[in-house]
Amino acid sequence: MVTDIKEKLPDLIENAAVAVLYLDHNGSILFCNKKAESVAGVNRVEIIGKNWLAVLFKGASSIMIKEMFKAVMEDSMGYKRAKDFQCHMSSAEGSSRLISWSINPIFNKNNQTTEGCILFGHDITEIEEREASLKNIDDSLKNIFSIIKEYTLYVINLDAKITYFGMGGEAMLGWSKSDIIFKHASILHDTNDAASNLDFILQQARLFGKYETETKLVAKNKEVIPVVLTVNHFLDPTGKLTGYVFIAKDMTEKKKLENQIFQAEKLVALGQLSAGMAHEINNPLFVISGRLEMLKNEKLSQKVKDNLALIEGQTDRIRKLVDRILQFSRKSTPVLEEINVNQAIDNVLPLVHYNKLPQAKIEIKKSFEENMPQIKGDLHQLQEVFLNILINAYQSMPTGGTINIVTSNFKNLYAQIQITDMGMGIPEDSLKDIFMPFFSTKSDGTGLGLSICQNIIKNHNGIIELESQINKGSTFTIKLPFI
Amino acid sequence: MLYKILIVDDEAPVRDLFEDLLKEEDCHTVACASGEEALELIKKDNFDVVLLDIKLPGMSGLEALKHIRDLNNSLPVVMITGFGYDDDLIARSKQFSCSGYIGKNMPVAQIIVTLKQFIKNAKEKGCAQ
Repeated sequence: MVTDIKEKLPDLIENAAVAVLYLDHNGSILFCNKKAESVAGVNRVEIIGKNWLAVLFKGASSIMIKEMFKAVMEDSMGYKRAKDFQCHMSSAEGSSRLISWSINPIFNKNNQTTEGCILFGHDITEIEEREASLKNIDDSLKNIFSIIKEYTLYVINLDAKITYFGMGGEAMLGWSKSDIIFKHASILHDTNDAASNLDFILQQARLFGKYETETKLVAKNKEVIPVVLTVNHFLDPTGKLTGYVFIAKDMTEKKKLENQIFQAEKLVALGQLSAGMAHEINNPLFVISGRLEMLKNEKLSQKVKDNLALIEGQTDRIRKLVDRILQFSRKSTPVLEEINVNQAIDNVLPLVHYNKLPQAKIEIKKSFEENMPQIKGDLHQLQEVFLNILINAYQSMPTGGTINIVTSNFKNLYAQIQITDMGMGIPEDSLKDIFMPFFSTKSDGTGLGLSICQNIIKNHNGIIELESQINKGSTFTIKLPFI
Repeated sequence: MLYKILIVDDEAPVRDLFEDLLKEEDCHTVACASGEEALELIKKDNFDVVLLDIKLPGMSGLEALKHIRDLNNSLPVVMITGFGYDDDLIARSKQFSCSGYIGKNMPVAQIIVTLKQFIKNAKEKGCAQ
């Protein structure tokens, strides 16, 4: 058996997948196998007997290799150890290969001095490439993770301590890694929300392997963020449970959108209801006013006449209210024409005085953008909006004041109209409802004016916003896209 | 007697009011509660003007208008509605060449003036034909 292997050895070495070189004490090449020929791109006939450094390694790295070779050969410390180095070589196929070499000293049997060395060279080009690409993927992942703002990824161990916190976690929840690493995960979970209860979530995750729930997480500033939370087992390579991985998706925007849709649907329903109701009121109201009108021609006592006048006044009030409701519920599509916003506002200003307004002295200051492109809109409807806002502004200043009207061109994208009064302002808690139908801060308001305005501006693909401060005044901002 | 007017409205108090108002204006009035009845009356009798409510049970005012146009292309028809001035309703009424459109939400005095003007216009136009 032993002789068998001894016979086969030269063949095995010759055909090994590893490059093998055998050098004498001075570095002259005594033997070179097939693989060594191929990785170094040389022919053994040309290199046998020559100095290995001279024929195989050129350039800067050769000095380092020379030193290393010398150290192994002299072995002044008696370590008898091999040394490794890596270098690029031009292979027989012409490609550059990265080879990891080890220089293994061979000792004289008698006095234990080095008589030469054997070198093994592994081609690690592919391994290196794979590692580089893994590193690349790793970097890209880190990059991708940093872009994701609406997901938080965190991992907890079996003691529920947070061991990883990343992805959009910092942006979404305001916690930094150092705030939260190794803290108990309950720091993130809203105790007021049953679905957010950590024990319950972990129990579910333990039982089912994966658990998904709509819940809330607590941000650093105590704000509660609605999320969809997915919890998975976190296993080590042997399959042992070491913790849980949590992925939380921020649902704030979606909730906001859902709420908007809900509000819009509510408005549509309200509109339909109002229209039907208004129609039913209009008929009897028409009969009442008609009969009243006919009575006017009769010979009546002054007392009856006075009473009739009162009835007429009140019926007219109902008529106007119903009219407003009909206007609110109507889905009138804007009749589009090209409009100069400045001109439209100018045309409305004289109309403000026709409305019964306080007699206080009110000054109107205009600052109009000269270079104002035309917008496409329904002149009649938009003027109704401007009129409505101006009347509100007048009414908010019973003791007088100034109304500022500023128009501007925002980057040729939209016309911006700002109407600012110095009136009593709107309380903060009323601001969110100000565009809701039937919401009014005035005792005699129908609460429909601003909701009609909002409908009109929406139909023009525009935006209407209100900022207000108590006793300082309000600013309405309208943005209407250019054509 | 100036004009002969057909009033179509499903609500009796509204019909009565129109009749009384127009009688004061010296008009002769005939009233009915549905589009179907109105068509029968128009077939039998000659009217100067028809006042036609849009929201009627069964055949709607707009359908009735369409059928009236099949019978008589020049008969003046004024649409009346409790829905006020609805762009869509006005457009559809115009499609079947109504002569006018009155919302019951207008002040009554204004309705009477408008109505008289419509009737006068319609009649003059009718005479000219």
